[in-house]
Amino acid sequence: MAKNPQDERLELLQGTLDMLILRTLQWGPRHGHGVGQAIRAQSDDLLKVETGSLYPALHRLVKRGWLKAEWGLSEANQRARYYQLTAAGKKQLIREQDRWSLLVHAIGRIMNPAPADSDK
Amino acid sequence: MRPNENDLNDELRGHLAIDIKQRIDRGEDPESARREALRELGYMPAVHEEMRRVWYSGWYDQTEALARDIRFALRSLIRAKALAVTVVVTLALGIGANTAIFSVVRSVLLRPLVNREADRLIYIRQTARGIGAENYTFSVPEINDFKSRVTTVAAFGDFSTVDFTLIGFGQEPRLVKAGVVNGAFFEVMGLRPVLGRLLSAADDGPAAAGVVVLTHRFWTTVLQSDPSVIGQTIRLGPRSATVVGVLEPSVPYPEETQVIANVVTSPHHSAATMQTARGHRMTELFGRLAPGATLEAARAELSSVHASMVREYPQWYSAKARVQLEVRTLRDQLASPAQTILLVLLAATAVVFVVACSNVANLILARSVRREGELAVRTSLGASRGALRRTLLAESLVMCTGGAILGLMLAVPLVAVASRYAARFSIRALEATVDAGVLWLGAGLAVAAAVLLAFVPRLASSDRRAGLGLTGGSVRVTPGTNRRLRIFATVQIACSFVLLVGAGTLVATLTAMQTANTSYDMRKVLAIDVPSSATAVFDPTRSTFFPEAIRRIGELPGVQGVAVGLVVPWRDRSFSNKAQLSVEGYQPGDGEESPTAQLRIISPGFFGVLGVPIVSGRDFREDDRDVAIISQSVAQRMFPNADAVNRSLRLGTATAPPRHIIGIVADVDDQNVVQEPTLTIYQSIRGGGAMGQLANRLFVRAAGDPNTLVPSVTRIIREISADQAVERPATLEDVRAEVLTPERLNTFVFSALGGIALLIAVIGVAGVLAFSVGARTREFGVRLAIGSTPRDLRTGVLWDGVRIAALGIAAGAAGGYALVRVAQGIWGTVHLPGALPVIGAAIVLLGAAAIAALMPATRASRLDVMQALRSE
Repeated sequence: MAKNPQDERLELLQGTLDMLILRTLQWGPRHGHGVGQAIRAQSDDLLKVETGSLYPALHRLVKRGWLKAEWGLSEANQRARYYQLTAAGKKQLIREQDRWSLLVHAIGRIMNPAPADSDK
Repeated sequence: MRPNENDLNDELRGHLAIDIKQRIDRGEDPESARREALRELGYMPAVHEEMRRVWYSGWYDQTEALARDIRFALRSLIRAKALAVTVVVTLALGIGANTAIFSVVRSVLLRPLVNREADRLIYIRQTARGIGAENYTFSVPEINDFKSRVTTVAAFGDFSTVDFTLIGFGQEPRLVKAGVVNGAFFEVMGLRPVLGRLLSAADDGPAAAGVVVLTHRFWTTVLQSDPSVIGQTIRLGPRSATVVGVLEPSVPYPEETQVIANVVTSPHHSAATMQTARGHRMTELFGRLAPGATLEAARAELSSVHASMVREYPQWYSAKARVQLEVRTLRDQLASPAQTILLVLLAATAVVFVVACSNVANLILARSVRREGELAVRTSLGASRGALRRTLLAESLVMCTGGAILGLMLAVPLVAVASRYAARFSIRALEATVDAGVLWLGAGLAVAAAVLLAFVPRLASSDRRAGLGLTGGSVRVTPGTNRRLRIFATVQIACSFVLLVGAGTLVATLTAMQTANTSYDMRKVLAIDVPSSATAVFDPTRSTFFPEAIRRIGELPGVQGVAVGLVVPWRDRSFSNKAQLSVEGYQPGDGEESPTAQLRIISPGFFGVLGVPIVSGRDFREDDRDVAIISQSVAQRMFPNADAVNRSLRLGTATAPPRHIIGIVADVDDQNVVQEPTLTIYQSIRGGGAMGQLANRLFVRAAGDPNTLVPSVTRIIREISADQAVERPATLEDVRAEVLTPERLNTFVFSALGGIALLIAVIGVAGVLAFSVGARTREFGVRLAIGSTPRDLRTGVLWDGVRIAALGIAAGAAGGYALVRVAQGIWGTVHLPGALPVIGAAIVLLGAAAIAALMPATRASRLDVMQALRSE
């Protein structure tokens, strides 16, 4: 297992998956497979979401009212559920984005402490 | 909104399809694309499960928590086996008894009859309470009056019974009870055939052919449900009839019969007396309400028609007899005699259930106090009060479920016993079964008990200093807990007391009946029914039958005497054959009626065979004409100042031929097991004329065991008359036991309930005391250290037990007295129990409590001082 190329991929930080899903849906509805692919592509193949995590997360977000789902026809000519941001979902995305920026900032400060005088 | 299983599957399959398509589009070959896609997807059921969990998480959590609690409860109960077993068995007894009685109550009082529109089916009864006839029945002219004058009743069905010797179906001759009905009867009753047809108007009238319908029970038991019996011709007494159908299973009322025939089948019913004599009453009457008519309207109209009948034919309705009409639905008629006894029984079992529950509550309370330490630890580790409550609930739920399952298993045989018991009040009890409704009741009782029990233990409240409970894991009994334990124990004693007094009263009554002195030789006399083939029709061969039978049976070895009589004591107690007495010179006191006496037809030697002493005078001889023997009571009543022998009396009116009194015999009461002074006149079978035909009970006095004579007696009778039925041979002792069966059953049931309650109460008292001794170990240690003797301690604990019992008895006596007063208000005729059962029950309970206290008391007295002092 140790030689598996997938090991080079990054583990998602806990709680960030929801945010990433919301983000990938910002520009329009996608089905579950599309969401997974978008996350992978936009992270330059560094982030890979397992199906076993992706779908429960999607359903969780639907249950919370941040996404809504509709049945449609996929490119493989199969029934597929298309997910779409709701108004509440859009607000939630903004909140999560703000929190993420704060977190990145805070962690960045710890990991790369700038010289004291550079503060000026 | 919530996706279903298919949606979840479809979504994953869709995902897979897209993945495969994209891989193929990228140039992978289809086989490996598919394999890779599947691998990426992971284990599909797990994903599926995860998605479900999103939607059903709350439900998941709760079931999981409950399952965890129940597993935990099972583990902790396995550690406390004795407690668990006691609780389960106690609850099982309570639940089993309750469900059994309930199922009988339901089948008798609540379940609808099979009869079509049973609420429009009425039962009409004539009573003549003035002469002691609860059911005076109707004569054919009376019924014809109703039929022609009443409009609120659409149709009448009449029913009477007659005994026939049935010959047919390739079986031995057997005596059957036959219902004789008119053609409208089955339509009125609203019953259907299971095979063939029932009777109709075409079967009425003297020109119709004899036809007979079999009852379901007779067909299934005696004929093994043989369908080929339809169309067969059988002989019923002197006539023959064709079997046309089998009746569906239904409640036989007023009497269970084996077959039901049309009127023409019975010579007696076709005879002129039956058809024209207004006083010849032997028919029961049913009716179906006319469309739109209510029961009240029918009752009013029937009563007014009856009143005009009484006015038109005053000679048939003497003022003294107080002839009255009662009209009610058949359903009410069936339920009414059973109602009281069943409700009493239901109350008694409810009391047992209370006893069982309070005992279980006691055990659980004591247990929860012992595990206060454990609960305190769990509280301090963050368990909420709700979680603790849930733990306790799971535990009691497990025990109560066990109790319910065992209880329902117990209920099956109990229902069988209880339904046979209740069948003598209402035939409908035989329909009682354990079914879904009963299971629900059992489950309901168990849940009720479980919830109750979970709330019995007090939880350590969160504001209490947890440190107290945590200290040593030891038991600390608050006065409140101890008081509650004692209250429960007292309740059990009180309830048991009430039940025991009830049982004791019944035992006392039964003992009085069973040991009552009769003038008969109970063990030496065999009584046999030798019924004539059709009642009350003169059969010339009969006059030679009995003399020959008496002679030939008398020659058997071991036979000391043979006689014929009219009734088997007690067994034939429904047979009443009364006549008014008149004696020259005797004037009844002012406002008194002339006394009536039971008239008995006997053969010479009767008194010797049955062991009834002849006080003065002599027995009948073969050549006696117009003579009578009287009982002592008659002699004292009619001839107060002189010897009655050689005087004469008349039966009926003063113009009847006088009868010469040749002897006086001791009083024997053949109607009541507990003997009362009875006015009885004996006539010789020879002098009785047609009445002599009725005497068909054979009595054989044996030197040894009378039962060994039965085969040879039967053989002789069949040799004289091949078609003669021989029924119910039994010694008088057995007859009495059989007659007392209902009383014995009553006594048995109540004693069983009382015994169960007593047992549970004893366990309860012992448990409470054991617990209190355990909790007071340290106190006892101190007391021993400062000079108490072990004996003092033992006595103290013993007195403790007796005190609880005494308190419970006092409470039970007060409660029972109140109960009797309430019952008197409702039923009027409820008696307070005698002193003996009350005192007896009190002694039993005190003794039982003392025995229950003995074990804990001994334990207290054996305490080691040093260990006791260190025990905390």
